[in-house]
Amino acid sequence: MSAIITATALEDTQVKRNPGVMRLCAMAAAAVAVGLTVNMSVTSNGLMSLLTQATIYAVFALGLGFLLKQNGMVSFGHALFFGMAGYLVGAAVTLTGWPVGMVVVLTVAAIGMFAFGLALVIVRVPGIAFGMLTLAIGQSFYVLVSKSRGFTGGADGMNINFPAQVFGMELASFQNPSSMFLICWLVLVALVLLLALLLRTGFGPLTEAIRENEERARFIGFRTLLPRAAVFAVSAMVTAVGGVLSALYTGFVSPESLHWSVSGTVLIMVVLGGSRTLWGPAVGAVVYYLFRDFVGEHTTHWMSIFGVSLIAVIVLWPAGIAGGVMRAATSLQRAAARRLA
Amino acid sequence: MSANYALEARDLSVRYGGVTANDGVSMHLAQGEIRGLIGPNGAGKSTFIDALSGRRAIAAGSVHLAGSDITALGVVERRLLGLSRSFQRTSIFPGMRIGVQMELAASKIPDADPDEVMRELGLDRLAGRVADEISYGDQRRLDIALALVGRPSVLLLDEPMAGLSVEESMKLARHLRNLARNWGVSVLLVEHDMEVVFGISDSITVLETGKLLAEGTPDEVRAHPKVREAYLGSAA
Ligand SMILES: Nc1ncnc2c1ncn2[C@@H]1O[C@H](COP(=O)(O)OP(=O)(O)OP(=O)(O)O)[C@@H](O)[C@H]1O
Ligand SMILES: [Mg+2]
Repeated sequence: MSAIITATALEDTQVKRNPGVMRLCAMAAAAVAVGLTVNMSVTSNGLMSLLTQATIYAVFALGLGFLLKQNGMVSFGHALFFGMAGYLVGAAVTLTGWPVGMVVVLTVAAIGMFAFGLALVIVRVPGIAFGMLTLAIGQSFYVLVSKSRGFTGGADGMNINFPAQVFGMELASFQNPSSMFLICWLVLVALVLLLALLLRTGFGPLTEAIRENEERARFIGFRTLLPRAAVFAVSAMVTAVGGVLSALYTGFVSPESLHWSVSGTVLIMVVLGGSRTLWGPAVGAVVYYLFRDFVGEHTTHWMSIFGVSLIAVIVLWPAGIAGGVMRAATSLQRAAARRLA
Repeated sequence: MSANYALEARDLSVRYGGVTANDGVSMHLAQGEIRGLIGPNGAGKSTFIDALSGRRAIAAGSVHLAGSDITALGVVERRLLGLSRSFQRTSIFPGMRIGVQMELAASKIPDADPDEVMRELGLDRLAGRVADEISYGDQRRLDIALALVGRPSVLLLDEPMAGLSVEESMKLARHLRNLARNWGVSVLLVEHDMEVVFGISDSITVLETGKLLAEGTPDEVRAHPKVREAYLGSAA
């Protein structure tokens, strides 16, 4: 009897924690539908371009948020992986005749391996010191690239001459806001789904346990270094995909994309959206862009207005917009259950 | 000879800078034995458990698990070989559901059954609850439950009854007796509640300022002149 209760409790637990695969796919399909609707109903080219930009940064924020969610660590240097992806794609396209699809896959894989190796060293460093270390590493690449000479263009940045065909599509599809928005949106939804599926495996509870209490995780028999480095690598790879999308969209990459202020801005998106869910940071990115555009039109002091609003969100909803939404959903569910009972 | 012991410590010394927290302490645990480890605050009991479990590097001595020398092994290897522990300050995964963290603990050990442990410690009804929402007493038992997954051969408990009510302490003491008898787990029990320690222990070790003061059956230790004088005082 109690075994049955335990079993149902566990199933219940798993459902609440990680919704079933079917439910995940349904949610992904709904998200795709939202993207299509937005794509069809937005007619302003300016707004479309803004949304495309926001979706690219949503991918970046998804990666950064994953690190915070599964590792509890804050990186101030993630722009490194964003910018590096652009430079690697640009360099490979310029120097080799390889198909862009292959270049992109190799770039993301290379950044994953680089991040994994880096993480093996730096994830041992605790808290604030880790943040400072990521900041320093990111900035050193920024300085390196902006001072460099040759085809990367130094501080001026680098134009990337993509071939006319990319992934079997016209290059123009990637550089037109409307079609690129759809591409970025689909990539974003696919990445959220992939990460959600990854967290349904043993990797989810393990990394969560390590984040909550690393010492205890070791005392129940788990080595913690490799899982933590793996989280960092996955996070960097997702961010790199954002960098690839940005390079495709603009056909350009500059040292500014490596700058710490980019990391900082995306961190704000993560905090705003909330990092307890995978999708929170992505929502944060979209809200950030819409807000900046809306307030920026009416005042030049948008940053201070944004700052005050951000504080308000954090005070009202410490777990960000996503946390607030989840809480509201839970209380609605409870209210409905009470009415039924 | 030593192969008969589930766990044996030989002349363990641990130093924190200039402080010698354990000074040549030897101790052994037979299979299914409960040994109480007592001593005043700062005597070095937690340090001893840290040294046995690999949490703290030792300055001298050796640790043997079922006869093999594990002194060079780390925390993770010792746990996987069956040397497990709980913590003086409750150490659990606060934001995770009890069922999920127990499953996780079981996933690393072949044939481990988390449900059996939860049943044994009366945590089965709480499987779906998040750890920081359950009572303090339940959290203390969860700490022990995490250590018990996979039926380790040795369990080191650092003040498991601290902060529990008399009733809860008695219940936990009964659980420990059952575990030792039914599962053959050897328990090293650090505990300040003398009634509990003398009540359930097969043998007792007394530490004072890092040194072994006395060792023997509860009756022997109770009668030990140095113990009476130094630790139990007139209360014994
Ligand atoms: N991390 C540490 N650094 C320096 N000294 C320490 C450290 N931990 C413990 N000590 C010292 O080592 C000695 C033994 O401490 P320990 O915690 O092992 O005692 P204990 O017997 O568990 O005491 P209690 O009954 O209060 O838990 C004490 O003098 C303590 O101050
Ligand atoms: Mg102690």
